[in-house]
Amino acid sequence: MEGGEGVAEIYKLHIEEEEDILGVMGLVDFPEEKRIEIRLLANAKENRGQNKVYDRVAGCLIAFACNRAVEKYERDACVSLVPKTNLVKHYMHKYRMVHKGRQLCLEKEALDHIVNKYFYV
Amino acid sequence: MFNRKLNGKVTQAELDGDVFIGVELSPAEKKEAARELAEYRASTKLTDKVGDSLIQHHIRARIDTYIATKKYDPAMSFGYFLKEYIDKLDTKRKDFAEQIGIDETLLSQLINGHRLPPDYLPIRLEIQSDKNISAWHWYKLVAMEKEHYIKTDQEIREKQRKYVHVPQYDKDGTRKGKSKSALVKR
Repeated sequence: MEGGEGVAEIYKLHIEEEEDILGVMGLVDFPEEKRIEIRLLANAKENRGQNKVYDRVAGCLIAFACNRAVEKYERDACVSLVPKTNLVKHYMHKYRMVHKGRQLCLEKEALDHIVNKYFYV
Repeated sequence: MFNRKLNGKVTQAELDGDVFIGVELSPAEKKEAARELAEYRASTKLTDKVGDSLIQHHIRARIDTYIATKKYDPAMSFGYFLKEYIDKLDTKRKDFAEQIGIDETLLSQLINGHRLPPDYLPIRLEIQSDKNISAWHWYKLVAMEKEHYIKTDQEIREKQRKYVHVPQYDKDGTRKGKSKSALVKR
């Protein structure tokens, strides 16, 4: 871990009172920047591709990161990720992420939109 | 876990958005990326509408976290979260009381824990927050408080004891004062 970087936390998404994991995500907190970075996100195998059992798993995981950020940092909340170059457009288009330098980020209106769309339905 | 290459090969699952593996930056790149992002964030404007919505999400998330503990904490009362909500919205109590159609005095009593909220209040708070904080969240705070009070308050038990006539039983287990015919009917 670099200076200012929190400890990585791994979260799993599952249906209440069921054990099957729908997806997992790794987050790193940067308190000094009021930012949470998504380092890893993976849908369970059955939730990948065109015949996935559950849709929106990745969206729910990203929204969870947004909710964590807003719980900690209120109006200043920010969620970011560092993608490979050819994935940038996908995240910009699907989740309204903004591409700034090397990172993609969600903050303010876009972050609010993702929480509303995926977290509390 | 992380891929070092920004232009590294991507899998179909990554292209579909089902898997994301972040690129690992060098310390110098991280520093530069943080600077770029901070610069961008400082340049964007937050409207009151979005700011209020984020505060509502913030309060709801904190209530969720508290409820998930399943442990009553007197500091995490309905009044505490209501005060937090109003303060973080940067709204005057008088204005907030007007928004939810109650007297400012009642609002103060609720915040200071001198009164429990009437049943309609969680509904009004839900409407005021455009459903961002549900009535259930506010109700649950009151329910946890009441549950704790019902379970543990000894003083109220002593006060109420004088109104209750505890049934007395004979040595053979028959309730005192009960006629034999009543026993037969039963």
